[in-house]
Amino acid sequence: MGIAKEFSKGLFEENPTLVQLVGMCPTLAITTSVTNGIGMGLSTTAVLIGSNVAISLLRKFVPSKIRIPAFVVIIAGFVTLIEMLIKAYFPALSKSLGIYIPLIVVNCIILARAEAFAYKYDVVKSAADGLGMGLGFTLALILISSVREVLGNGTLLGVQLFGENFQPALIMILTPGGFLTLGTILGIKNWLAARKKGVSPDA
Amino acid sequence: MRNNEIVSYSLRLFIITFSVALILAVGNHITADRIEQLTIQLQNDARKSVLPEAADFDEVPLEGLGRGEYKLVNSVYEGKNEGATVGYCVNVVPKGFGGAIDIMVGVDIKGKITGIKIISSSETAGLGSKAERPEFLQQYIGKSTANTLKVIKNATPKDDEIEAISGATVTSNAVTDGVNAAAQLVNEKILKVKGE
Repeated sequence: MGIAKEFSKGLFEENPTLVQLVGMCPTLAITTSVTNGIGMGLSTTAVLIGSNVAISLLRKFVPSKIRIPAFVVIIAGFVTLIEMLIKAYFPALSKSLGIYIPLIVVNCIILARAEAFAYKYDVVKSAADGLGMGLGFTLALILISSVREVLGNGTLLGVQLFGENFQPALIMILTPGGFLTLGTILGIKNWLAARKKGVSPDA
Repeated sequence: MRNNEIVSYSLRLFIITFSVALILAVGNHITADRIEQLTIQLQNDARKSVLPEAADFDEVPLEGLGRGEYKLVNSVYEGKNEGATVGYCVNVVPKGFGGAIDIMVGVDIKGKITGIKIISSSETAGLGSKAERPEFLQQYIGKSTANTLKVIKNATPKDDEIEAISGATVTSNAVTDGVNAAAQLVNEKILKVKGE
């Protein structure tokens, strides 16, 4: 597969959130507003590219039997370093992203890509894979958080959409709303995919 | 052969963890001072914004103020303008829905709340995070420190009442607890003692 293919597969056919269903925990937790979704998505993308490159570079040095502890140490180190640098040099960014960065450590997309891709392929392909997967994650977060923010808060990107009389369904930005939205989007996606293939959805 | 494998794996894992620790140590060494400075700067800015009348701030030692009684209070600063005390800034850290909320409360010498600012919090985005909005914080300004503020829901707030953020009662309560603790401390320990 070419570089372009490695990049684009993460956006759609292997989308981490909507197809692979990894990283559900941060997905449900932070999709209460579109700004959050973009912030979390882009910071995850940065970490994902970095950790993919680091693991791809070290793949000859790390024997397969000890790869998981090695990955965990590298990823956690990477995230902590980025957190320190952002805090020290980009205080404004740190104020808006501060709460997401520690969450990235527990995002299993990072470990999943290290294990499934970066450990097996070269640096350039791994970076492309990281970028694609990261942006795929970001797109999915934007989709879910748009639905939740509009229905649950009556706003999109913080801008009021409806008149004074609109009563937002608060449940949509509470945790149950996350499950409802994710489930509905997955259902629609699977229904569309099944229709495209020409199979009846019940089959 | 097997033993060799164990030694080789341990050694490699050790090299990885050691390098990561080393990189983090260097990173921390480079950034720690700057982060500390920025934190101090942030606190200073917060003090200025909640007590705009004051030009300089001096820390008031907490030891003499009965620290045990005011568990939520982190630090107290005396705000001065040209040598005269104009009020106090109290940093309180009540526990909200998502952990500690770092709040700065300004009180003038007449015992009125002059301002309140949330320095940092990890409340639920879109719900508890609304506590940082001026519409919510505005409610505290001008309240007297002599009274304990209460949080109410779905009603028009009276004099000593604060209208809760819908869906974020825990956060509203936490912020109010913090403000009450700050008000109590200034009222009972500083203003009364000085007044006598």
